[in-house]
Amino acid sequence: MFLTRSEYDRGVNTFSPEGRIFQVEYAIEAIKLGSTAVGIRTSEGVVMAVEKRITSPLMEPSSVEKILEIDSHIGCAMSGLIADSRTMVDKARVEAQNYWFIYNEPIAIQGVTQAVSNLALQFGEDDDEKEMSRPFGTALLIGGVDENGPQLYHLDPSGTYTQYDAKAIGSGYEGAQAALQEVYNKSMTLLEAEEKLLQILRQVMEEKLTSTNVEMTAVRVGGKFQRYSKEELEVILARIKT
Amino acid sequence: MEDYRAPVEVQWSPYSWNGGTVLAVSGEDFSVIASDTRLSEGFQIYSRDFPKTYQLGDNVVLGSCGFQGDVTTLNKVIEAQLKIYDHIYQKKMSCESLAQLLSTILYTRRFFPYYTYNILAGLDSKGKGCVFSFDPIGSYEREVYRAGGSASSMLQPLLDNQIGLLNQTGVEKKPLSVEKAVQLVTDVFTSAAERDIYTGDGIRINIISADGVDIKEVPLRRD
Repeated sequence: MFLTRSEYDRGVNTFSPEGRIFQVEYAIEAIKLGSTAVGIRTSEGVVMAVEKRITSPLMEPSSVEKILEIDSHIGCAMSGLIADSRTMVDKARVEAQNYWFIYNEPIAIQGVTQAVSNLALQFGEDDDEKEMSRPFGTALLIGGVDENGPQLYHLDPSGTYTQYDAKAIGSGYEGAQAALQEVYNKSMTLLEAEEKLLQILRQVMEEKLTSTNVEMTAVRVGGKFQRYSKEELEVILARIKT
Repeated sequence: MEDYRAPVEVQWSPYSWNGGTVLAVSGEDFSVIASDTRLSEGFQIYSRDFPKTYQLGDNVVLGSCGFQGDVTTLNKVIEAQLKIYDHIYQKKMSCESLAQLLSTILYTRRFFPYYTYNILAGLDSKGKGCVFSFDPIGSYEREVYRAGGSASSMLQPLLDNQIGLLNQTGVEKKPLSVEKAVQLVTDVFTSAAERDIYTGDGIRINIISADGVDIKEVPLRRD
């Protein structure tokens, strides 16, 4: 496999003779090393959860943040190189505020996703300091509520974005996605979604799921982006205790 | 003293005043926006058939007057922005958003303004009639009725009396019907044409409802 790739997988803006850009494909691979992130859209709102990898007992778990607020009606869960995601989240936040400034209404989820996707392919080999020299090694789940109701989008390093009812990214995505397909139904409540997400994370995580090594947020219809506290997570964990 | 030259005052006047009056009234589920059709400068009439209302969407119309060059350019800028918005966000811009956009566009020219007086009328995202009035640098407000441009200082007090029912006691406030609104618009323009030389020739009335925009034209005195 590497024999055929070796000629063309160095330059970030060079197509291989088969018409592929390997660096972008490798970037997509990088996400599979990241922690698992899952999201579900229900008619009541969007819930997203990620596993936190606590690698040392001396680490402060609350300092690991992998779901960020973009605007008061949009959240973003990430997997892969978290530092790269911050650049994208910065762009999304600016775009959301700029939209509000010009149009006096909250931006649609599709709108921010498209704005961020424009960043994804702005890499090159020029010495331009402002430009990224490689593709972003990160995938995002962008979820929120807009005038068309709850929406969940997935964005990958190639800049492709797709709308989902439920989506998993990161190391455990295969198992998690299969599980999501199993449990998802259109009439799911937000309460059920909370439980299913944690159940799925419990299945795919290597460590035992606790209220400290998971992060969960929700955007409810008519509500704002909200992060679950340790206590709230414990309540849900108690509900799914089997 | 051969080098003596009298002081010369250099003037640069990039603006003209082409007159015109716009007027908008909103009701429960409709709004009406009208303008006269005269285009003039000083004592010259350039056109007797130049309405100053511009339809920007299915149920939104902009009334714009002042310096016609700026009105035309401003309209081109708005129309381009509307198309781009439609392509990016895959929806038609709401009347409220268009009002904010217009304000932003006008303020970008804070120190070399578009010399235009704008009134935006249409239906809001809940389907109710809405009117937004602007000053030339983008300060704006949502109102029930508003006159702008050349004869605005004559029309506004009439509207305050007839629609706002201001400074009156013992009057009952009834919801405004489309027919009453159109009749009022016709009457106040007829009055303005008597006194203002920059208003006359005809009225273009746009009646905006959920079904779209209906246009009615009424002649005015032509002297």
